[in-house]
Amino acid sequence: MAADAPRVAVEDVTVRFDGAPALEHLSLEIGQSEFVSIVGPSGSGKSTLFNIVSGLLSPTSGRVLLDGRDVTGETGHVGYMLQKDLLIPWRTVVGNIVLGAALTRGATSRDRAEAAALATRYGLGEFLDHYPHALSGGMRQRVALMRTLALHTDVLLLDEPFGALDSQTRLDMQLWLLSVYEDLNVTILFVTHDVDEAILLADRVAVMSERPGRIVADLRIPLPRPRDLDVLTSPGFTELKREVLRLLHKPAAVVPA
Amino acid sequence: MNFLRRSAVRVALAALAVGLIFGVWNLVIFAFDLKAYALPTPQSSVATIYDRWSTFQPLTLQTIGETAYGFLIGAAVGFLLAVVMSASKTVQRLLYPTLITSQAVPIVAIAAPLAILFGFGLLPKLVIVAWVVFFPVVVNVLDGLAHVDQDLLNLSRVMGAKRWRAFLAIQLPATLSPLFSGLKIGATYAVTGAVIGEWVASAQYGLGTYLQTEAGTLDTKGVMGATILLTAIGIASFLLVVAAEVVATPWRTRSTARRGVGSLLRNDERKGARGWFGSLLQSRSR
Repeated sequence: MAADAPRVAVEDVTVRFDGAPALEHLSLEIGQSEFVSIVGPSGSGKSTLFNIVSGLLSPTSGRVLLDGRDVTGETGHVGYMLQKDLLIPWRTVVGNIVLGAALTRGATSRDRAEAAALATRYGLGEFLDHYPHALSGGMRQRVALMRTLALHTDVLLLDEPFGALDSQTRLDMQLWLLSVYEDLNVTILFVTHDVDEAILLADRVAVMSERPGRIVADLRIPLPRPRDLDVLTSPGFTELKREVLRLLHKPAAVVPA
Repeated sequence: MNFLRRSAVRVALAALAVGLIFGVWNLVIFAFDLKAYALPTPQSSVATIYDRWSTFQPLTLQTIGETAYGFLIGAAVGFLLAVVMSASKTVQRLLYPTLITSQAVPIVAIAAPLAILFGFGLLPKLVIVAWVVFFPVVVNVLDGLAHVDQDLLNLSRVMGAKRWRAFLAIQLPATLSPLFSGLKIGATYAVTGAVIGEWVASAQYGLGTYLQTEAGTLDTKGVMGATILLTAIGIASFLLVVAAEVVATPWRTRSTARRGVGSLLRNDERKGARGWFGSLLQSRSR
């Protein structure tokens, strides 16, 4: 492990699908225990970026480094969570949380005990033996995050995890995620369409361009932690939101005749 | 308590349905003034079963045996075929037309050559029953395997899953619900398969053979008795599959697992379990 290497580094990554570029010369660094939100227009390649970092997809060129080690195209190093909770209907809450262990080496009773402890700590204690269909959307996403945490990888990629929830539940989940993050020593890369969500949660907000995706701005979010609901209405927050919105919605350049 | 009440209501409704069928049956006899040799009443048909039970009992056991063994063979063959076919697109494209052809051939037509091939014992009957049962199983299980969420398979890759573990944990259980849909269809077809098998290839007597000989002597009471018994076997098979489904897929009918992790939550064990998770819990230095 190289000293001072960022926890996650995406180096000059370009991805082409059948020649059409989806990402172009994209570079991004995330420090240990940092929370970085990525916002960008639809189709800017945010999910492609996640598939690259998780190793599901190999870039046309460029590298992915974890602690300075090249892991381009390798899976099994980071946790991954989507808008769809992807809970397995025949597994209970605990059974779903230990899925990573079950798929790699077989889940032990110790894994299950650990899952139960994790779930209990973060508000799922009453639902350990429930099947997913008996849970609300918000609860299901909590289980999905616990499943991601139980992978024992402290880098988490969260791809619009709350995108399918109603606004009330979504806000509850954001505050819940804040408490989990502030409690644990994890590094999070978070994709969202929601500018409020991006700022409320993150230490940095990276803004992506239209396709082919690049990082066009990287903003520090100096709001103090622990954060709560009041952050959303603070003057500092409004200032940051104005800036992100301005970056996202630049007026279209007029091509001179 | 609630469960018992709902069950009682369902049983009562099912009994009412049987009563209705028997009522209509009686009504038809009355309306068209049918003689007993043309169509006996359901009561007298059931009474015939009772009167001739010493005759019916071995026949019924014989037919139940053919149905049950043929069903199990057909289900197993169908399931294995589906798993093999799902593993390779080429195998699937090769076998699917063959399977469809197997069902397009009139079963009665191939029953005779099967009897010539396999003789007149139990074997040709098992083959015929399995023949009608395996198809709905293959089709449903294949569908189930094809519809496993691709994102879920991607997630398992991100988790670094071993292929066979992913198959056991994700794909195989996903076939259960479609498997049971196929089995329910198969269970009702199986009895028909057994009867056809007995008609073309019988040395031992079963309900199907009895049906055939008694029809020849215009013993309609015997025919209707055997028919009611065959129907009962079909319904019982279906109900057995439903019962097996409830046991095998608890997540479809229950909100919590029967045997959960409750015992894991004793405090001493919880402390021991902190392990990795405890090391994540932090005094963050920000």
